[in-house]
Amino acid sequence: MVTPVTPKSWYLPSKPHKFCPGCGHGIVLKALGEAIDELGIQDETVFGFDIGCSLLAWDFFACDSTQTHHGRTTPVVVGLKRSRPELITVGYMGDGGGYSIGSQHLLNAAVRNEKVTLILVNNTNYGMTGGQMAPTTLPGQKTETSPFGRDPEETGYPTKGPEFIAELTPDNAYVARATVSKYNQLKRFIRNALQNQIEGNGFSFVEVLSTCPTNWRTNAAQTWRFLEEEMETHFPVGELKTPFGKGAK
Amino acid sequence: MITQQNKARIVEAFVGEYASGKSEIAINRALELKGLNHQVTLVDLDTVEPFYTLRPLKALLEGKGLNVISYTREDSFGLGETGAMLNPAARWALMNKGDIILDIGYGIHGAKTLNLVEGAYESSELRIIAVINYTRPMTNSPEKVREYLLELGRLDGIIANTHLGNQTTLDVIVKGNNEILRVANELNIPVDYMGIDKTMYEEISDYKFEIPVKFIERYMVNAMW
Amino acid sequence: MQKVIGESKKAFITGNEAVAWATLAAGADIMFGYPITPQNEIMHYWTRLAPKYGRGFLQTEDEISAGFTVCGAVQGGKKAFTATAGPGNVLMQEPFGMAEAMRLPVVGIIQQRGGPSSGTVIYSQQEVTLTTFGGNGEGHRIVYSTSTHQEMYDYTIKAFNTAWKYRFPTFILGDGYQAKMREPLEMYNPEERGIDLVKPFPLLGLEGNIGTDREPQHLVNIYSLEEELYDVVMRVSKEYESIAPEIVEYEENLCEDADVIILTHGVVSRAADDAVKALRAQGIKAGSFRPITLRPFPRQGLLDVLAKTNAKKLLIAESAYGQLDKLVKQEIFGEQIEIENLFMPGVGIIDYHIISKIKSIL
Repeated sequence: MVTPVTPKSWYLPSKPHKFCPGCGHGIVLKALGEAIDELGIQDETVFGFDIGCSLLAWDFFACDSTQTHHGRTTPVVVGLKRSRPELITVGYMGDGGGYSIGSQHLLNAAVRNEKVTLILVNNTNYGMTGGQMAPTTLPGQKTETSPFGRDPEETGYPTKGPEFIAELTPDNAYVARATVSKYNQLKRFIRNALQNQIEGNGFSFVEVLSTCPTNWRTNAAQTWRFLEEEMETHFPVGELKTPFGKGAK
Repeated sequence: MITQQNKARIVEAFVGEYASGKSEIAINRALELKGLNHQVTLVDLDTVEPFYTLRPLKALLEGKGLNVISYTREDSFGLGETGAMLNPAARWALMNKGDIILDIGYGIHGAKTLNLVEGAYESSELRIIAVINYTRPMTNSPEKVREYLLELGRLDGIIANTHLGNQTTLDVIVKGNNEILRVANELNIPVDYMGIDKTMYEEISDYKFEIPVKFIERYMVNAMW
Repeated sequence: MQKVIGESKKAFITGNEAVAWATLAAGADIMFGYPITPQNEIMHYWTRLAPKYGRGFLQTEDEISAGFTVCGAVQGGKKAFTATAGPGNVLMQEPFGMAEAMRLPVVGIIQQRGGPSSGTVIYSQQEVTLTTFGGNGEGHRIVYSTSTHQEMYDYTIKAFNTAWKYRFPTFILGDGYQAKMREPLEMYNPEERGIDLVKPFPLLGLEGNIGTDREPQHLVNIYSLEEELYDVVMRVSKEYESIAPEIVEYEENLCEDADVIILTHGVVSRAADDAVKALRAQGIKAGSFRPITLRPFPRQGLLDVLAKTNAKKLLIAESAYGQLDKLVKQEIFGEQIEIENLFMPGVGIIDYHIISKIKSIL
């Protein structure tokens, strides 16, 4: 059996992980792991994990971590950072934990330009609880609580988080949207986000467009099509705000 | 590409409304085939909630000779809201030799869950079978049954599984299943058989049913989580 | 109102679905909710069924919002409800507190899961304290603890009537087992059973022109002086105590000649019933007492039973670490009966557990 090359900051006893086949989390966590290795910050990095599929990463890294409550990851890592500024605190959450129940904390952390890094994995549904509608569910998309398709007249349009975060934050914050369909860019954005915290500049936030074939009930081809053709159209990918200059490699 | 190594093998996917009896039927079918000396793989594709899935029965069923693809309770339960967890081996279920029985959970997407199994829809062996209990409120009238069946998309068979738990009577079974039969005939979908709890054997042994009856052993009572 | 249940007949159904159908049958106009296991099917079924009956739904951004949106809908005169569990129940204490203070007939279904914090998604009876006395008030709320699916259906309908008649927030306290287990029950339209549905009425947006027909409605939940608050709390407390006899419900079985009384609530009562049968068959005189309303607690009922019984011991069994125990003790303070405990927090209790415990204490 072939043992794949894995980031040093990954915690091997917890592998293979429990994410579903085809889930984008695995890709995000790999990019995160490689970024942590390349920046050499494994010992300083502490994670906060939300409730949702993100909780499956509770023992993913060989870094200290804590589970929080649904939507409360942001304030927990803010509290940790403010009391221990030398740590690199990373909050890891989904679209529900970030844009729904956690939105007030996200917004306020951004306004205060908290020096934390938040990674928000957006798969347009509440995965762990069985596929309910999320703030980022697309118009017409069927979920367990929008069984006839999301009607924007009733429940609005999908939340564009990085856009409002970019509006709220000063110039030394880092705000980006990545996608699991472009791995090198994803890793670069995550590196920049962590670098922003390492340099003590300000808030750093990366939303990652991700896949959930289990709740979308899609095969491989349909999964990629939904991500690349539908999600990436609704949610533009790129850096919205960076102190490092655009296209910094 | 999935090669057919066993041309005559059985590949059945059980779909149906929430609590319609899919898992019970799936387990019994898998054990029936095992009893005929087939190699059988039973696959847990319940992704909406962590209750009443095959997970707690994995060890028991493996003890009876089935290959069971699912997480165990311990794997999935230490971690909170763990409804939607899919064992990666489920994706490649059809690559297992021998018969494959798929227990598809509920959800608004109905049978589309089969998209998660590589090669399912392309398979010429696959039969998609709906399990219906006429006492379930969403399928308790001919109109509702028809609407439900049409929503499910492609269906190759139906199993009439009408029962009222420990208050089941012959009357309940006959009345309910006859309605299901009528709708099935209108829609031209074959009804494979009726599932009846084997504890009802005495009570119904004199009755002449129009379609085959399979007696079901209840396993899922012990499978709450 | 459009009939919800066709001809009344028996259905094989899960507890969550029973709740969803009951709320429809009770004439609920709108549900607000947020996903949390193990109550999600209440929302799933409501979203599928509500459009057919012209009812509304919104999945809010969180449970605090779900509770407050219910408050707003109730103030507008519509029958509104929500469902939650565990950490969601904790969050809802803020809006439920406002409902207590402002006498809003909100209805909430609580499907208890393991606690504290995220605990487990499965089952417990650890939200008793929270549901009966949560919030920063005096617990002026009504709580029904159900033990069968038929009761989940019956009491959900009753909850709306109780809430709108007496104007206290009313809760159905279930649990993850009841939510998910499948049982037969009979669903019916309340009118067919002679149950009149109490009509809702608005507190805001009343009819008539302001100034000519009526004064504007200014609703508050804050007071300037301590004495004002004192007056309000004393008045509401007296009212709550005076209506309690109309609301309390309990069941007792074979207590009079019992040597030991088993006191349980909710789904654990099933195990208690089985235990009483088994113990009696073995010559042990056991009886059972089951409060159906945890708030107001059937104090007089229990005191009456204790006055008439031979029993020297009272076994309080719960899937928590003393929440029912505390509730009982505060009600029967001064009684001499010896109290024993069977605490199994977050774990199901079956007759075997109760029987073993009884044998060890007798």
